Amino acid sequence: MHRLIEQAKNAVDQAELYWKRTHAISVSFENNRLQEITENELSSVAVRVIEGGKLGATSAISPDQDGLIEHAKSAAAYGQPATFAFAPAADYAQVEASSQDAARLKSEDLVDLCESVKAEIEKERDDLPLFVGAEVSREELTIQTTEGADANHRSTTVDVAFGAPIHGAGMPVFKSRSSVSPQTRPDDLVAEFLEWYGWTEKTSTPSTGRLPVIFAPSASFLYLLPLWAGLEGNAIEKKTSPVVGRAGEAILSEKLTIVEDALEAGAAGARPFDDEGVPCQRRALVDKGTLGGYLYDLQTAAAAGASSTGNAVKRELFGGGTETAPSPWPVRLVVENGPTPCREMIGGIEEGLLLYHGMGFHSGNYPQGQFSIQAVGFHIKNGTVVGRLEKTMVAANIYEDLKNIRSVSTEDGPSIGFLNVRAPYILVDSLQVAGT
Amino acid sequence: MKEKLAGIVGSLSADYADIRYEENRRTKISYRGKRLVEVTTTETFGGHVRAYADGGKATASFSDPGSAGSMAEAVAASARLAGSRRDKPLRLADAPVIVESFPITSPRDVRNVSFDEKLDLLTHYNEMILREPTVATTEADYDEFTSRRIFVNSEGSVIEYEIVVANIMGRVITKKDDVLQRVRFAYGGNEDFGRIQNRESDLEKGIDVARRLLDAEPAKAGLFPVILDPSESGVFIHEAFGHLSEADGLQNNPAFREKLQLGANLGREILTVFDDPTIPNLPGTYVIDDEGVRGVRTELITKGILTGRMHSRETAAEFGEPLSGNMRAADAFNTPVVRMSNICIEAGASTFDELIASIDKGYYLVGAKGGQTSGDQFTFGAQWGFRIEGGKLGPMVRDINMSGELFSTLQAISMIGDTLEGSERGGCGKAGQTNRLSGKETPPIKIDQVTIGGV
Repeated sequence: MHRLIEQAKNAVDQAELYWKRTHAISVSFENNRLQEITENELSSVAVRVIEGGKLGATSAISPDQDGLIEHAKSAAAYGQPATFAFAPAADYAQVEASSQDAARLKSEDLVDLCESVKAEIEKERDDLPLFVGAEVSREELTIQTTEGADANHRSTTVDVAFGAPIHGAGMPVFKSRSSVSPQTRPDDLVAEFLEWYGWTEKTSTPSTGRLPVIFAPSASFLYLLPLWAGLEGNAIEKKTSPVVGRAGEAILSEKLTIVEDALEAGAAGARPFDDEGVPCQRRALVDKGTLGGYLYDLQTAAAAGASSTGNAVKRELFGGGTETAPSPWPVRLVVENGPTPCREMIGGIEEGLLLYHGMGFHSGNYPQGQFSIQAVGFHIKNGTVVGRLEKTMVAANIYEDLKNIRSVSTEDGPSIGFLNVRAPYILVDSLQVAGT
Repeated sequence: MKEKLAGIVGSLSADYADIRYEENRRTKISYRGKRLVEVTTTETFGGHVRAYADGGKATASFSDPGSAGSMAEAVAASARLAGSRRDKPLRLADAPVIVESFPITSPRDVRNVSFDEKLDLLTHYNEMILREPTVATTEADYDEFTSRRIFVNSEGSVIEYEIVVANIMGRVITKKDDVLQRVRFAYGGNEDFGRIQNRESDLEKGIDVARRLLDAEPAKAGLFPVILDPSESGVFIHEAFGHLSEADGLQNNPAFREKLQLGANLGREILTVFDDPTIPNLPGTYVIDDEGVRGVRTELITKGILTGRMHSRETAAEFGEPLSGNMRAADAFNTPVVRMSNICIEAGASTFDELIASIDKGYYLVGAKGGQTSGDQFTFGAQWGFRIEGGKLGPMVRDINMSGELFSTLQAISMIGDTLEGSERGGCGKAGQTNRLSGKETPPIKIDQVTIGGV
């Protein structure tokens, strides 16, 4: 145990140390040229204490900084009643999430990878202002408590992302991949990018009314964030969630199974414990459409008379970090694949949409399962893509509209930034579309 | 510390280098409903180093001040590597050398106010909201960020400056059957504690709106003329146009750069837009940016014509345009990027009554609710609004999202109100960092046609 925890045993009733060390190198190409190389070496610490039945917290750079326990103890004088105890000792699963080869990557290697992606795209299209980025980060996370938790996890992540702004519109078409180990050139994504970019050359506005909509993996946040907001422990405790008290009931289509899977070996972002040092799990949140359970951290679990599900994450809707108080979030979501190739989905649509992004999500009433977004994607007519969407809004309530799903794809990919997700394409029977 | 940092940047094998070292403190107090859920103090320090060498650029952030020298050496080497793999060298525009301190002095500086007084004020506002019977829960936060920064560069600048921002903000959340509605409030935006005191009447108005929204009708989808209140017009001009005036985004986007050449006609003669960090008492007010350049007023659109944009030293050199002092970073762990300070629309000639009377069938949209932009497409919500029928305000509406294409929407601004209102809260996301120092001062405006997407 770090000496801060040893000292805390004599100073406060309970204490928790969260300590993250990160080393990251990233390179970015903009408009086909190497724009910047960045290297970060950062340490950050959060200390929480329970004193006199109240919770207090402080954040800093190093656990060796003076006065951390005292600062947290002062905050506890004003703090909320602590209705829970910090995590006890636990046996954590072995989750392989670190690669020596990745840790040895240098900025030259990342520059080479980006240049090879660029060269591969330029074979087909040498007229695009490409952006290409690559990053390698290695992280060590330590969580220790006076109650006995002693968790340590090392991970590496290699990210590659590339794309180009659509001519005349500025909005990008992009592809990305994350891995634990070093990556080779993602030729499959390059091919997909080239096909999609080709689809953007014409614009098209769909009819207004109810139309079938395919959510690409990158757009899966549009239904997964409302689902998170409905499952997270605070909304359950306050009874503001539309699915409170509905565990065991069908809430989505039986074609949808959504698993919280933090433990998959070799998957980027997999980890054995959450941000409170509670073991992570593999469990179905939605099993063939049926609600499996909720997301709890220590505090919300205590309020619900349940156990933490290992879902404490230091994040908010936008951002978060060491100084952010933990709250219930999925650690890693996997939407299970189905039997239908994506091309078959497109081929079967008379008129519909393929969404790969949606703008304005956060200004909608997502905690109630709703979203109303400006659609970013493609217009499908008679089984083929006829152009990129323009002037198109899509509105949905996931608990009504996602009850009717036609098919789920064999292919999968990550979602846009918000969550750690692997999701397939899903074809929803119909959503409200406002176009021409 | 200043001498040590100046010694490091002065000795690097690079064409240019700078280091920004920061000591930051944050205090956050949060209520969720009746429960005080967070009382946190944070003290962090760290640095950020940038180097340009052989036409290449590299940056680094570090937590340990002891590693400033080695990180700076590594950055200089990375910049040389970047330069060797680039065909067109990056350059920096010349900037004056500044050796000066810019401390913040204010009689009601939040740093001189006790923690208890801050907690009592937040508790008071939260209890006011909880007394409303339709309230399901509350979100009420006190958020204070103070930063002492030292900036040195290899040209001889040595600058000490401060950032102090305090806000009380949150949401009133009401519920009736299955309908849940949220109305935001935000007071403060700079170092003055006085700005967040005595705001009871403003908060009462917000609570009243949140109650009335429960019985409001949802907006209908379709194309409509709209009047945007100052909060909405501020978000529109910030999201849809402001971000495209930040030159780092344009620098590497040839299609947009072509479209946004100075002299381009973007709107009618009534439209003048500028960015100005020197206006007192707005959230985006500052003296010096995080690249050691003074912030100045920059006219962006003058009588409908594009006349300027916001720059870093790098983009000013690339575009051959004047420095503006808009290069800013959230903290030491982020590299500065070009950001708006206070984006403003000049007041026009139309009274509020004239604006409303000009619409036969449309909406008056009130209260910004977040927005998003990608390229020329924008979308943002309104917290509430009113139908306009036959030139008169009609019933209240809710669940409003509007979207459109920037260039046609700018041309569709046909009337500008004669009153200005400033924002009280920053908080703009770009490049993975949230800028607290981001303000707006705008009048109500009329847009002839936008897409309203109801839920």
